Amino acid sequence: MYLYDFVWANKEIFKLVYTLIIGLICFLIVLRTHRLFKLSFHQGIRYFRNAFFFYGLAFVMRYILGLYFLEGLYPFFIRGVFEFFLIMAGFSLLYSLLWRKFEPERGIHSSLFNLRFAIFYLLALIVAVLDYLWGSYFFMFLLQIILFISASIISYVNYKKSKKNRFLRLYFIVIILNLLAWLANFLVATFFNWQREGVISIYVLNILIFFLFLYGVMNATKKQERAENG
Amino acid sequence: MQQKSKREQKMAKKRERLDVIKDILMAVRENRSIKPTRLLYASNLSPQMFKEYINELIGKSFIKLDINKNEKKTFSLTPKGNNFLEEYRVIENFINNFGL
Repeated sequence: MYLYDFVWANKEIFKLVYTLIIGLICFLIVLRTHRLFKLSFHQGIRYFRNAFFFYGLAFVMRYILGLYFLEGLYPFFIRGVFEFFLIMAGFSLLYSLLWRKFEPERGIHSSLFNLRFAIFYLLALIVAVLDYLWGSYFFMFLLQIILFISASIISYVNYKKSKKNRFLRLYFIVIILNLLAWLANFLVATFFNWQREGVISIYVLNILIFFLFLYGVMNATKKQERAENG
Repeated sequence: MQQKSKREQKMAKKRERLDVIKDILMAVRENRSIKPTRLLYASNLSPQMFKEYINELIGKSFIKLDINKNEKKTFSLTPKGNNFLEEYRVIENFINNFGL
């Protein structure tokens, strides 16, 4: 329990460290995947990159806005912005697995401004407003759980199709961990009134998930460096 | 003749866009500069599809069209196209690893 006390007593510092870690991981992933996208123009890579762009934006915006708007109604605004970008990240990650069913292989002109993403933006906005009106995170948790159940099913099917690719198994595990993190978030918020041990554990789980994503991306692009040197 | 499954037939019929691009660029690289007709045969595409891909590859500066004094046209690979070929395996791995 001493560790939890220590973290809680220094939570502002840990919040900064947490934001920096997640922000940096997202930045690295966006950088690496953007390079691959610029070469291949592959839509799946594009949406995967966008997911981490939104994740990074969500965490960094929450921290930066939190520094300036601490009082009055502003915390609700900060929460709304955070929720909006987190939901967009969830949609983008799921869509990176599904895009082939909805658009031609050559893709569409803009991956951020098109009809499908307009619907996603609208849904994200509706969920953020509903949570604001209800004064909870319930609708976001529900949507994220649905999104990650869908992503789990798709990544499990992908893994089953190509059992030789051990990386697909790792990706499936990461998606399941993501789902567990959202379930834990829901439980801690709904039944344990944001109990600090629960919150800190979720933060640790989130960092682990982002590191696993980074490991996957770096691992794939490391081979590239070897090929360049070889 | 052995009957192929529906999935195999579909896979044999439809090459992925990235595979087509790789095949075209490989053909250009192997020949250093190649005439449009030869490249069309090498790409194994219909003339219509071939035109679309070639326009896309020129647009993305992966290949360039050279016209000599006798007005003969040939395609050659640009450094960007060469870079794509070198990193093709990485891109392919990335897509497969994440199921994208």
